[in-house]
Amino acid sequence: MISPRTIRNLRKELRSSLLAKVGIVLVLAMIMVAAFAPFIALHDPTEQDLDENNLPPLGFSRATEETTSEMQNGSLVIKNETVLVNASASHPLGTNSLGQDVYSRAVYGARTSMMVGVLGTLLAAILGVSVGLVAGFYRGRVDDGLMRFADVSLAFPSLVLAIALIGLWGRAAVDIPDPFVVLGVVEPVRSALGLPTGMPDSFVLPGTVIVVVGLVNWVWFARIARGEALSIREEEYVKAARALGASDVRIIGRHVLPNATTPILVLATIQVAAIILLESSLSFLGFSGTTLSWGFDISQGRAYLSTSWWIATVPGLAIVFAVIGVNLVGDWLRDALDPGIEGEGGV
Amino acid sequence: MSYGRFLLKRGFQGILVVWGVVSIVFMLRFITPGNAVDAVAPLDASPELRDRIAEELGLNQPLYVQYLDYLWDLLHGDMGFSYISGIEASQMVFTKLPATVELAVASSLVAITLSIPLGVISATRRHQPADYAATTFSLVGISTPNFWLGIMLVLLLSVEFGLFPTSGRAFGFIESFRIMASQGLSPGINALWQWLRHIFLPAVTLGTYFTALITRLTRSGMLEELGQSYVQAARAKGLPETLIRYKHALRNTLIPVITVLGLQLGTLIGGAVITEAVFSWPGLGTTLINAINIRDWPILQATLIVIGTGFVVVNLVVDAVYAYLDPQVVAE
Repeated sequence: MISPRTIRNLRKELRSSLLAKVGIVLVLAMIMVAAFAPFIALHDPTEQDLDENNLPPLGFSRATEETTSEMQNGSLVIKNETVLVNASASHPLGTNSLGQDVYSRAVYGARTSMMVGVLGTLLAAILGVSVGLVAGFYRGRVDDGLMRFADVSLAFPSLVLAIALIGLWGRAAVDIPDPFVVLGVVEPVRSALGLPTGMPDSFVLPGTVIVVVGLVNWVWFARIARGEALSIREEEYVKAARALGASDVRIIGRHVLPNATTPILVLATIQVAAIILLESSLSFLGFSGTTLSWGFDISQGRAYLSTSWWIATVPGLAIVFAVIGVNLVGDWLRDALDPGIEGEGGV
Repeated sequence: MSYGRFLLKRGFQGILVVWGVVSIVFMLRFITPGNAVDAVAPLDASPELRDRIAEELGLNQPLYVQYLDYLWDLLHGDMGFSYISGIEASQMVFTKLPATVELAVASSLVAITLSIPLGVISATRRHQPADYAATTFSLVGISTPNFWLGIMLVLLLSVEFGLFPTSGRAFGFIESFRIMASQGLSPGINALWQWLRHIFLPAVTLGTYFTALITRLTRSGMLEELGQSYVQAARAKGLPETLIRYKHALRNTLIPVITVLGLQLGTLIGGAVITEAVFSWPGLGTTLINAINIRDWPILQATLIVIGTGFVVVNLVVDAVYAYLDPQVVAE
């Protein structure tokens, strides 16, 4: 599947390309942040503190009108004063309207994006590659039928279909326990570092979103896998396997699929980026199963744009860096492996 | 195969796809939990009233009868009536359609006019500052969620500097000309100006991703074409470099770019939906989201059908243009 030559090409491309290195660093950073969120976050991302809401990030301050009333010489005096709200060192990127820590929410948001990005792509790949390989391998009626079906699902934009399906099916979510918190390693480490303890012991996996994202993006994989199957089925080794009496399932599984992995892998990387963007769009519009998501935080911050710009800005920057990282890795794989696909698969 | 036969064949395939779209939209209701009667009936409705509503909506018929009825009505342009407002669904959708089309066309114009020169400059000045600027822009552009870009543009240009309105549409493009015809030049131009002020930020928001994408495609395509032997032959022949670049290389570059654009049309429509949500742009996207939230089935179905059909029609046009530019496609 991954030949020594492939690895050589990847190394060579990585050595010569600065952007590939940047991409790998960004992606690794995002994976680490998502995995070790309970250690990296400064606060419980869901903890509210209404006394400390809309705090600005370090280095900024927020002007606000404050009304005070006091009794002076027997009459009530009402004063309007402009007060500056200063940043707090314990909330380096500020807080949102509920007093939740913007930085910690961005850290936990990486989990949602990673989970949906990877699991959604996996589902789309399994569905699409199966359909595409079968269509390309058998050709004829099977191919026509499956590809017409692909045409029909392509006619619905991913986002439109996803909104419709999630809106209609509901927003089921699964609580998965946070392994570090359950094992009891988070509390001692955090106390040793002097950080507030009491991190959430479970994490919400937006199940419907993952399923729907997989269902709306399978077509891209089907198209690629079909094209590969169409050409691989004419190869000598496939003919040899058939002459030896190998079953179709065996030929597809042992010969066609392994030789189609490169373009599928490159497409999968591009799709992770597309699905991270799709997930953030869905949670921005309120079609998500979780409130710990970059898109959701952006929608929350929108109402406070004129006073507290950081609430919507920080999670947006997180998305941009994450997607740039994944796209750069995708470019690296494409340039090194040259599977002959060009920019397919959008949001 | 002749060009005419090619078009006929693609047209027939397009009709099949539209039929598939309609069938999926019809089926959606039956793979959705909950009963359509619930969406219409009051909470304390008696069983008799519920039966009457079901009968009125044709929900007590066997599935295939409902399906055939649905197709028959669609062929007559009847998409049912909104469960909530009672307005005809087709009328509702077609009054919202122009706003979305305006947005999509405006952002495509932004994208095409900026991206192709950018891609060409980037490719012809490879590894120079202009190339680095263009590639950085396109990398960031394809990685930025458009709704967030829209919000940031509002934050900077509307909230901080007050240059553009934050939301809404004011006048339609065609409406402005109607005003010009009926009320005179000055109110007409004013309406057009208001239209432009309102569409500017949404069009930039939606267009940025495509500008970035087409810049990337044009750059890599141009680089590939400029390395081809026909370019070397043209240079050896002494043809001027501009002629080689723009007449030969760019033309061959644009052919695959058109295909990708056809495929990305879904992204454009999906992007329009979310851009409309950011700017309260009264188009199909906002209609769709409302219809889903209140379970207004006829409106939801009509919106999905119009979006799906629009996709098929535009792709047919793209195919036709593509086949015209590259006759090999017809031969295959």
